[in-house]
Amino acid sequence: MVIQRVIPRVALLINHSTTLNKAYNSRNVVLRLISTSQCNFAERYFTKKHEWVEVEGKIGIVGISDYAQSALGDVVYAQLPDVDSVLSQKDECGALESVKAASELYSPVSGRVVEKNESVEETPSLINTSCYDKGWLFKVELTNDKEITALMNESQYKEFLKSDEHH
Amino acid sequence: MKSSFRFLSKVVDASKIKRTVLISQSNDIYTNLALEDWIYRKYDFESHNILMLWCNDPCVVIGRYQNPWLEANVADLPYVTDAGVALARRNSGGGTVYHDRGNLNLTFFTSKKQYDRKVNLRLIKVAIYKEYGLMVDISPRDDLVVGDLKVSGTAAKLGRLSAYHHCTLLVDANKTNISRALQKESSEIKTTASRSIRSKVTNLCDQNSAITVDGLISAIGREFLLPADDDFQYVNPTNAAFPELDKIRANLGEWEWCFGRTPKFTVTKSFIIPSKFLVDGRDQKLGVVITVENGRISDVQLNDSTGLFSLEALMINRLRECKFTPETVDGLIQSLLEEKYKFVSDCVRQVMTSI
Repeated sequence: MVIQRVIPRVALLINHSTTLNKAYNSRNVVLRLISTSQCNFAERYFTKKHEWVEVEGKIGIVGISDYAQSALGDVVYAQLPDVDSVLSQKDECGALESVKAASELYSPVSGRVVEKNESVEETPSLINTSCYDKGWLFKVELTNDKEITALMNESQYKEFLKSDEHH
Repeated sequence: MKSSFRFLSKVVDASKIKRTVLISQSNDIYTNLALEDWIYRKYDFESHNILMLWCNDPCVVIGRYQNPWLEANVADLPYVTDAGVALARRNSGGGTVYHDRGNLNLTFFTSKKQYDRKVNLRLIKVAIYKEYGLMVDISPRDDLVVGDLKVSGTAAKLGRLSAYHHCTLLVDANKTNISRALQKESSEIKTTASRSIRSKVTNLCDQNSAITVDGLISAIGREFLLPADDDFQYVNPTNAAFPELDKIRANLGEWEWCFGRTPKFTVTKSFIIPSKFLVDGRDQKLGVVITVENGRISDVQLNDSTGLFSLEALMINRLRECKFTPETVDGLIQSLLEEKYKFVSDCVRQVMTSI
């Protein structure tokens, strides 16, 4: 799944940065292609509370991590923030219900909600089956880029999961 | 990175956690839910765990994302007991329960990290066994059962830092009233709301006649405080002791919260058209399809193969934006003289009362 998602992005990168590419020799391009998976990892950022944000231009797509969905168990109801609601980082903005527990949902970033995933509202189990893809929760028009840089990238998050502190 | 996280993490020694048992002196469901919410929001449970014990006058309590019309006999609730049965929506997940003074509620407040339902249920199990010699089991769904009969239902709320797990214990609840309040035929409802799994229940006093609510408060409270035994506190949930408690209580008691927060649903029911309206007098049916959003009617459709009710189908749209309650239709019916419209309105009313 990761590879399928990465290839179009690399293509995009190459098309949009032709001048940059001209400066590189062919060996560099090959190197870049080899490191594609890292390129994808770098685009998804994580919080200590197991939310993720994927940045596309000014839009941040928000979801919960595989660790979080697995800890929750089967999600049976998703309450997502309404479009146009303005969120500050760490605001309570909805909840997910699983095995009799309602877990509050917090926004990992500040901004205005531009879209919520209605498929997830209709079929909450998408969060379990596809937490990084079909199970995304909502999209935010980002207002503070600094919030993103303070989050963990995928490899930092993997290290964080190995530490004791994440529970 | 890793070591810095380790450095930051606070290790709390379980034996150093302070423990308090709070016994609410209120029997009002909305006040007790407000107190629970107040404690959850205002306290830090990292080094102080709290067990709140509480009992309510007759009421039905639905989960955060449930549909009251689907879970309870909403139209009958005022008549189940002399004083009626209240309906409340709580903040936690899970299914619908019935409370009365024969039912003990327990809320375990911990930090999110310490949240563990099994630990709490085992504590209850041990306390009951020590005090009464009765063995209850913990089901895979975190219910407490005696044989295959349920004596306790569980639900939880998890926040960023704090969490609570609360559960019921049926001690000597009125089982006739439980059935009258909750038991119902399944209606044809389409919704994403979470549905209760209906289970057979029993009272603990039917298993061991020595078991009482007061006895359990003392036994479970003592077990929770072990090895200490001195921190039982009776609390009177007032605004003076808990600032703005009245405001939380008022919100929890509002129609907009209890009914208005119901996930969108569509209910369908069909009715036999009285022969007086039919030319050929054969059995024909009129279908009524009502869609409800935020507890209010967002659409009413008539499935009418006879074509007799096309005018009524238009007029019935006056119900849009009205609350999904029979009173809404009562106002209409009284002002109507036309029989066909009265019939249609009455069908709509029946959808609301029989759902």
